[in-house]
Amino acid sequence: MPDPVLALLVFALLAAAAVGLFWPAGGLVGRIRRFTDLDERVRLEDAIKHIYMCQRARQRCSLDSLAGRLGVSRARAATLISRLAELRLVRTPGTGPALTEDGERSAVQIVRTHRMWERYLADRTGVPAGEWHTEAERMEHALSAAQVDALDARLGHPVWDPHGDPIPTPAGEMPPEPGFGLPGAEPGRTVEVLHLEDEPREIYDALLESGLSLGARLEILERTDRAIRLRSHGRTWDLDPVTAANVTVRYLAEDEAADTTQATLLDAPPGRTVRVASISRACQGAQRRRLLDLGLVPGTAVTPELTSAAGDPIAYRIRGALIALRRTQAGLIWIESPDAPAPQEAV
Amino acid sequence: MANSGSGGLLPQLGGCAEHRADNLVRLGLSPDRWDVLVALAGNPNVGKSTVFNALTGLRQHTGNWPGKTIVRAEGAFAHRGSRIKLVDLPGTYSLQAGSADEEVARDFLLFGRPDVTVVVVDATRLERNLHLVLQILGITDRVVVFLNLMDEARRHGVAVDAARLEKELGVPVVAGSARNRVGIDELLDAAHRVAAGEVRTTPFRLVRHAPPVERAVTALSETVEARFPRVANSRWVAERLLNADDAVVTAVRSGELGQIGADADSDTGSAGDAGNEASAGGRAEPPAPEAAREQVLQKARQLQWDLPPDFHDTVTERTYHAAQRIAEGAMRRGLGRAGFDLDRRLDGLLTSRWLGFPLMLAILAVVFWLTIEGANVPSSMLATLLIDTVHPWLIGIGEALRMPWWLSGFLFDGIYLATAWVIAVMLPPMAIFFPLFTLLEDFGYLPRVAFNLDSLFRRAGAHGKQALTMCMGFGCNAAGVVSTRIIDSPRERLIAIITNNFSLCNGRWPTQILIASIFIGALAPAHLAGLVSAAAVVGIAVLGIAMMLAASWLLSRTVLRGEATSFSLELPPYRPPRVLQTLYTSVIDRTLIVLWRAVLFAVPAGAVIWLISNVSFGDASLAAHSVEWLDGPGLLIGLNGVILLAYIVAIPANEIVIPTVLMLTVLTANVAGAGQGAGVMFELDSTDATGDLLRAGGWTLLTAVNLMLFSLLHNPCSTTIYTIYKETRSARWTTVAALLPVAMGVTVCFLLTQIWRLLA
Repeated sequence: MPDPVLALLVFALLAAAAVGLFWPAGGLVGRIRRFTDLDERVRLEDAIKHIYMCQRARQRCSLDSLAGRLGVSRARAATLISRLAELRLVRTPGTGPALTEDGERSAVQIVRTHRMWERYLADRTGVPAGEWHTEAERMEHALSAAQVDALDARLGHPVWDPHGDPIPTPAGEMPPEPGFGLPGAEPGRTVEVLHLEDEPREIYDALLESGLSLGARLEILERTDRAIRLRSHGRTWDLDPVTAANVTVRYLAEDEAADTTQATLLDAPPGRTVRVASISRACQGAQRRRLLDLGLVPGTAVTPELTSAAGDPIAYRIRGALIALRRTQAGLIWIESPDAPAPQEAV
Repeated sequence: MANSGSGGLLPQLGGCAEHRADNLVRLGLSPDRWDVLVALAGNPNVGKSTVFNALTGLRQHTGNWPGKTIVRAEGAFAHRGSRIKLVDLPGTYSLQAGSADEEVARDFLLFGRPDVTVVVVDATRLERNLHLVLQILGITDRVVVFLNLMDEARRHGVAVDAARLEKELGVPVVAGSARNRVGIDELLDAAHRVAAGEVRTTPFRLVRHAPPVERAVTALSETVEARFPRVANSRWVAERLLNADDAVVTAVRSGELGQIGADADSDTGSAGDAGNEASAGGRAEPPAPEAAREQVLQKARQLQWDLPPDFHDTVTERTYHAAQRIAEGAMRRGLGRAGFDLDRRLDGLLTSRWLGFPLMLAILAVVFWLTIEGANVPSSMLATLLIDTVHPWLIGIGEALRMPWWLSGFLFDGIYLATAWVIAVMLPPMAIFFPLFTLLEDFGYLPRVAFNLDSLFRRAGAHGKQALTMCMGFGCNAAGVVSTRIIDSPRERLIAIITNNFSLCNGRWPTQILIASIFIGALAPAHLAGLVSAAAVVGIAVLGIAMMLAASWLLSRTVLRGEATSFSLELPPYRPPRVLQTLYTSVIDRTLIVLWRAVLFAVPAGAVIWLISNVSFGDASLAAHSVEWLDGPGLLIGLNGVILLAYIVAIPANEIVIPTVLMLTVLTANVAGAGQGAGVMFELDSTDATGDLLRAGGWTLLTAVNLMLFSLLHNPCSTTIYTIYKETRSARWTTVAALLPVAMGVTVCFLLTQIWRLLA
């Protein structure tokens, strides 16, 4: 029988070693994996994607921009380009590298994988918005075309990714991207957010932080050189022009109204019947469809009836059935102000 | 073309029957013969299965059990001389194919092309139910609506004008109450008439959409008409294509479209059938060339780009508004006081801040107590029959046949005895637990448990409905794993599957109770012994729940990273459970199937136990060698070699752990006068004698506590592992599910043992 102190010590050492090896964030295994992830193929694919993006945006692509984008030296970038030229994916005329037809096809496939995976994360998982892009950066090198097609079918052939970028079809077609930059919006008008640029991460995080989401309707109150003042759901805030430049919007049509409701289902007092105004546009995909299918469409009468023994979730009477929703979900449902004249009591 | 199925009662069984039969087999239907195919659809909790049983007369196995069959249940019966096949579709709120269930229902309506679809509607929640009815009417004309629960509606002061509803919907509406068999015959007649084409339906369809949607639908339906001139309902096809309905996209691509379109509109139904699938005379019209088909898809794709992003929203909104208008027209309130007063009062009690959790624990404790107490007598009767009577009798037969000793030992002492043991220990508690559980389910209490526990599971990153699957796991982990199908998010479902094993299952209760009463009850004064050991067992079960939450938390922070996704749970009204039917279905569906699987796995286990005890190397049996070898690691975690070996050979079925431990203890500790020979499992009549034997084998209080912990925290039995594999289709996750609890068990036992020794 070994000495218990010794046994416990050995155990503690083993446990510490295991944590050091396998902890997802800083573990050795994770680090090694991240390192090997950045192998030749991934670099080449990233390079193709960069050239493709430049071409789409009608910007000039150079060794410098490539080196900067990939975080490698100029010499390394030059090696990558010549390797791509060997593979006949890139031509190098005097004006900087350009994709061949084959190169463009691979680039479209990478972009398709990336955006499809983001759509999947947004629709079917609870992964927070800030992490979609990073996860997709990894998956775009890992999924085969057949896997992406299967995902496409499962998600119901989405047209847009959750940032508002179009997802290319297998043939590489994409709808034109509509709208204009938020800094160009006239004060006094109301716009709808069509696209939030997800790179760089810092600005995207700032956009999320400021409560912007795809489909949000913003009233432009004021525009100066230093800030744009916005209002939505009764909240007013400022956005600096640099951040705002990463937001694409369109003007509302005449029959569309600004978001003015200020209360969510969480604000509905127990037993008091309120009416649904809209479901927050931050709620997308399968989750949104589920709420709609439960009958939470604009105008629906909802009564908070029961609170769980633990305080969350809360059960609401919706179109005759008693349905439990978690607080985070109830907070996504805008209601007509509970102080407005009470609608007819529903059974 | 006239010969292809237009004659007789059943117009749809002509030329297209062969093709449809293929589809039906693909959809999981057994390929027997029938004249009329009836699908049963409806929202969850509307009494659909009651209607199913009322129609089939309970003669059918209403299996809600795993396998590749995606159709929930099927049954057959005769009506007016025709054989009717009834298919029960999963209960859904919608057909938008957001979850697996919805996909199953939608695909069956589209490709199974039933002769008639009966939509069961809850009269007390007309509006919500009509939303689904309207969606089904968009797919097929052959619909009969059954207004169920009319009696419940009357109690709540709601009356529904069935005639008015029929006029609005344009399909037959039958009012009744399936529970009391009211309206069932009328329903059958109506369904039969619709299937036979005697009734011409004019189903309600949403015609105009919001302008941008309307423009796209019109443009696309023109293209569809141009490319598929014979498609009857081009608008419907266009709508589905704009919805990126994969089934319809595939149908267009393969040229199968003509058929679906034809069925979606019965006016030209038989013509469409004949045109596409004329069996004898060859095709009347070749399918549109591939290029043309791709053009249709291309067009749909482009139009999709122009659709507003809230396209889904507006479609659902319009459907609900239509449902609301129709429901308001057909409902008559005010016959009595409206409301669900009793429900509210009961809910207030069962989910209250102070009483919610204690009541829940009390109810579960009563269920366990009834299971344990009630199973005692039948278990010992079965043991007497199978082990004390049949076993010697089988050995006698072996002798009479002059079987060599090893053959009769292998067959009767090994295989037979293990199987008999599993049946004797497992059958009675399961036959009590599952019906009790189903009664609670029927009554409507289980959703309240999930409602109360949700916030714990949310914090662990798991789904609220995991509480339901956990409860199911107390009966049997394999059944618990299957029940995770109610969770529609893949990540959370995987967590629920992997951690279900932490629910202490029926096979492990007896071990816990026996060891607790020998070693822990003995610590207390005699009159408190029972209470103390019961508390110890409940403590282990509660520890299991804690471990389940901990493991879920760990998984959702590491390999299954992600936040908890949406959760919506309907709390159905309380309904008096139907006792007899519950007994029938839960015994057939749950108990016998679980038992059958356990028996399948007990057979090889019995063989292995007998073999390792009787095959010798050198001077000792394989079992003795293994015990000696396992003693080192065993003692390190406070167990011993005998227990570890017993757990290894008992992977197939936890029930045989104690008999195997006893047999191996006798074999290795050389206790005189006990046992029945190498490889023969046995149990002693008295708890005291068992305790004496175990103490002779070197057991202490620490061993006992560790065994109880290890019994909770070790790999799932092979039935469960197999079920996990079938449900996840992944060897990797199955391995995780098998090894994670063992790792936790070894760690917990090790730490407890070392700290115990340090302090002692």
